[in-house]
Amino acid sequence: MTVDSQGTATAGSQDAPGRAAGKSQTPPPPSGAKEALQPSRGRRSLPGGLLPYLLVTPALLSMAVLLLYPLISNLILSFQSVNRRELIRRETPWIGFDNYTELLGNSEFWTVVLRSVAFTAANVALIMAIGTGIGLLLNRLGKKMRLVLSLALAFAWAMPIVASVTVFQWLFDEQFGVANWLMRTLGFSGYEQHNWFETGFSTFVIITALVVWGSVPFVALNMYAGLTTVGTELYEAARMDGANGWRTFWSVVFPNLKPFFMITTFLEIIWVFKAFTQVYAMNQGGPDRATETLPVFAYIEGMSQQHYGVAAAISILTIVMLLVAMSFYFRLILKQEDEQ
Amino acid sequence: MKRKLIAAIGVAGMMVSIAACGGSDSGDKKDKAEGGNKSLTVWVMDGSAPKEWIDGVNKEFEAAHPGTKVNVEVQQWTDIQTKVTTALSEDTPPDVLELGNTQTTGYAVTGGLADLSGDKDKLGYNNWSKGMLPSAELDGKLYAAPWWAASRVVIYDKAAYKKAGVTPPKTRGEWIDGLKKLKAADAKSQPIYLPGQSWYVLAGFLWDEGGELAVKDGDKWKGGLATPQAAAAMNFYKELQSYSTAPKDKDEATPQQSVDVVPKGGVASWIGLGWEAGGAIAAIEKAGGKSDFGYFPIPGKTADKPGSVFFGGSNLAVAERSKNQELAKEWLAFVTNKKQLESYGTANKGGIIPVDTSAQVTPEAGSFAEAMVKVAEVGRITPITGGWANVETEPNPIKGYMTKVLKGEDPQKAGEEADKVIAERINQQ
Repeated sequence: MTVDSQGTATAGSQDAPGRAAGKSQTPPPPSGAKEALQPSRGRRSLPGGLLPYLLVTPALLSMAVLLLYPLISNLILSFQSVNRRELIRRETPWIGFDNYTELLGNSEFWTVVLRSVAFTAANVALIMAIGTGIGLLLNRLGKKMRLVLSLALAFAWAMPIVASVTVFQWLFDEQFGVANWLMRTLGFSGYEQHNWFETGFSTFVIITALVVWGSVPFVALNMYAGLTTVGTELYEAARMDGANGWRTFWSVVFPNLKPFFMITTFLEIIWVFKAFTQVYAMNQGGPDRATETLPVFAYIEGMSQQHYGVAAAISILTIVMLLVAMSFYFRLILKQEDEQ
Repeated sequence: MKRKLIAAIGVAGMMVSIAACGGSDSGDKKDKAEGGNKSLTVWVMDGSAPKEWIDGVNKEFEAAHPGTKVNVEVQQWTDIQTKVTTALSEDTPPDVLELGNTQTTGYAVTGGLADLSGDKDKLGYNNWSKGMLPSAELDGKLYAAPWWAASRVVIYDKAAYKKAGVTPPKTRGEWIDGLKKLKAADAKSQPIYLPGQSWYVLAGFLWDEGGELAVKDGDKWKGGLATPQAAAAMNFYKELQSYSTAPKDKDEATPQQSVDVVPKGGVASWIGLGWEAGGAIAAIEKAGGKSDFGYFPIPGKTADKPGSVFFGGSNLAVAERSKNQELAKEWLAFVTNKKQLESYGTANKGGIIPVDTSAQVTPEAGSFAEAMVKVAEVGRITPITGGWANVETEPNPIKGYMTKVLKGEDPQKAGEEADKVIAERINQQ
């Protein structure tokens, strides 16, 4: 049992990203043993010669233009003192690591870093927990309800971010918001003019609700897609052994879908850590700069305060932090490949 | 995931190449246009230039300068500094820009604005209001033509005031007494709508106390909020604000008081500019209602002098990199001559004070303009230094200070925190 599920778990890792992207790949037949064979078959059918390189060239070229070039310009900018005056005069004085030393010695910067980490941890934990729960629910629901729930999830996922932020702002508006009305109707006192954006924490709670709401569909739908690949005989076997629901999840579902959980968690970490629109549009990093996460801090320093060099340094540091976090993921993957 | 990414990058790549085609296209056209004809791009701010007026002016200007085309682009105040900075750094900036009077010197120090010192005669420099000039000059050089100024007055609902038996006050004491009566007469409405971050209003109170937003200390500037004067000003603001249910952490533009708050009713009075009063009246009429506003200057500490007010206004500047600088200066001179200023004043129903005060339209009795003109001599502006514009960028430390004090924090402590940020920003050019 254990050995078998281990095997499928490692085998799953190769096509996990494909599965995460979803729908296009036909799910393999629901048998653990067959699935273990699939990757080698996939590898054999790769075309040789120049063709693969030709096929990736357009993607690489556009990445170089759209990602690499701005990244390098950004790196150079982070070593320069460019503010409003320099930008208009087109001067680019080189100041070495000054932007970085200034930032690293600034307690405000470290507050923002800690805040970003805590924000990311809370959001990713919630997204994964709720997303997994809804994914399991989708798997158990009847056809009609599943369709309804899937549609609801797809709508939440498809909602443009700024539009959803505006909706949330109005929901929690101090003077005309429905949240205050609801609390009053339910008989709570003190919600006559309650300001939901009064403190950084309260603002973060609303932003978290928005981010989690917007991100859960991705996890839930993929979770459901992943679950369809777990053979029903595994559940039956578990039930025969007398496992309850909780035990079945940890012994059957989780080991089988471990690659899925890994890739999704890391993707969510990246997305939440660099989430800008939700946080900025909700309250512009306020009140009193209390909800500035790293990307928002970079934007406010750069665009609003017009310290372009410092902002570039902040974004470079953000990338470095994300790379460090991602290195764990890559190490896990490499370790798995070695084991194979 | 990867496939999605590739698709996204592909689409983005396509869009960039399409945009690039578009870009070179319009570039060609422009070059051609400049060969024979000249075109001017003018940035005006939202609410500054009534459309019929500016269209009329441009028609006249184009007739006087054959082959010239003037394009007017209306900009929003929100995040305008970022936009202006970027525009001035480009090869083809707008030729003429309207800049807020508190922001002009901030751009003058960057070298992005053309020096207009040599064109003083053409622009009619000698007829300009001396009160508006300082915001357009730096180190003895002229960088912009002042255009108009305006200040805030108290706008009140005549019916509500009549019902409560309140008449326009002359002193702060009478003002507060009136608000008390209004509250007693109608518990459901707000005697005054005053959000917590209306910092131009606070600036007036601060000047009344003899304080300053920032003062020069040697060759450096320092903030003036950690002072007894600021505490006194804030204290009065807090008292006024206690008669309002407006949010303590928002300014008058979020939500826009003139069109989003006042027309909904339940507001007996508010503090606003001429265009805001106009916007509120239009919104009320659009909703099928009828407005009956009266206006009075913000009361001073004593009856002999109205309260100090911030002299909001705009200057018109020419971009240093403008391809048609001479023509842009011509346009500037054309717009700021007495005749155009008179028609401008009429188009604004006298709600603004033109730079050439002899072009002031005599305000109608009981109008916004009448109340505003009364306070023209007590109008003041923010500190004149290139760094002041940095202070005003969001997050604005003065707004943060106000919210903190309104929520009960010690004014001295909140003032010190704000002064630290002000000093940091005002001293960098």
